Amino acid sequence: MAREPLPEDDALDQELMAAVARHDGRAFARLVERHLRWSLGFAERMLGTRPEAEDLVQTAFLRVWQGAARWEPKAKFSTWLYRVLHNLCVDRFRARGAGTDALDDEIPDGAPGPEALASGLQREARVRAALAALPARQRAALVLCYYEERSQAETAALLGVSEGALESLLTRGRAALRKWLREDLH
Amino acid sequence: MDLNRFKECAAAYGAARRRWPESARALHDQFAGTAQGAAILAEAERSDRFLDAFDTAAPGLQLARRVGALPAPLWRRLGVPAALAACAMLGFVLGFTQARNTADTSVAARLLLGPQSLQEIGL
Repeated sequence: MAREPLPEDDALDQELMAAVARHDGRAFARLVERHLRWSLGFAERMLGTRPEAEDLVQTAFLRVWQGAARWEPKAKFSTWLYRVLHNLCVDRFRARGAGTDALDDEIPDGAPGPEALASGLQREARVRAALAALPARQRAALVLCYYEERSQAETAALLGVSEGALESLLTRGRAALRKWLREDLH
Repeated sequence: MDLNRFKECAAAYGAARRRWPESARALHDQFAGTAQGAAILAEAERSDRFLDAFDTAAPGLQLARRVGALPAPLWRRLGVPAALAACAMLGFVLGFTQARNTADTSVAARLLLGPQSLQEIGL
């Protein structure tokens, strides 16, 4: 699957951010145009639903607008935006009642639920349900490394784990998906 | 040992070489063409194909406009009808408050509720 390509021209993003810091609405609109597509895809795969993802990207871009004056280009703009999006997702998981343990490791027994995996559902809906049932960090690792094709170093830094720990998150995430969706895999 | 590492990478990163860590891509090259390696990659590819089923659509024009207009003043984001409605509401609230400040409260009440009896309006 070809991922949605990120705009490669980080120098342009940095120029746009400098203009946004001066309250240039057109520069902001240009940044949105460049980064909305992948941001929305990332949020949708993390949160599982489109309306929540749309709401989250609006909040994220509002933070871009509000935080532009304080932004320092220590990393690529896209890396910073991933961090903003990821942090907002984690806030949502916490608000849904997932404690920090649930964000991490243990896969709930029986998740994502027999009805979600019923063979009558479209395959996409089953993947969506299965991904949503993974512990949040395993899901984030899969979304970033598989769908977004971020490097191991970038993903590990975003998640605040070592590259070895990232590999473990990916292995466990894929193993859980294989277990839940055995029939789809053949 | 190398085949074990090859298996670990396939289990974590899937079948596509480009998703593997740079340090392990030589292993991909080494084993992908062997019978054992091909079987491991075929298994990983099934998981990849499954993940690929979760596609996401491009943002709609309305969302793109809404997000792009976040810095715009509220009246521009909401549109002219909403702005007019807000102005009308503001005018009403100001008028009502003014009436309370300059006259007794019954004037304000009449403004809001209308006359309480027909005698009040001479009928």
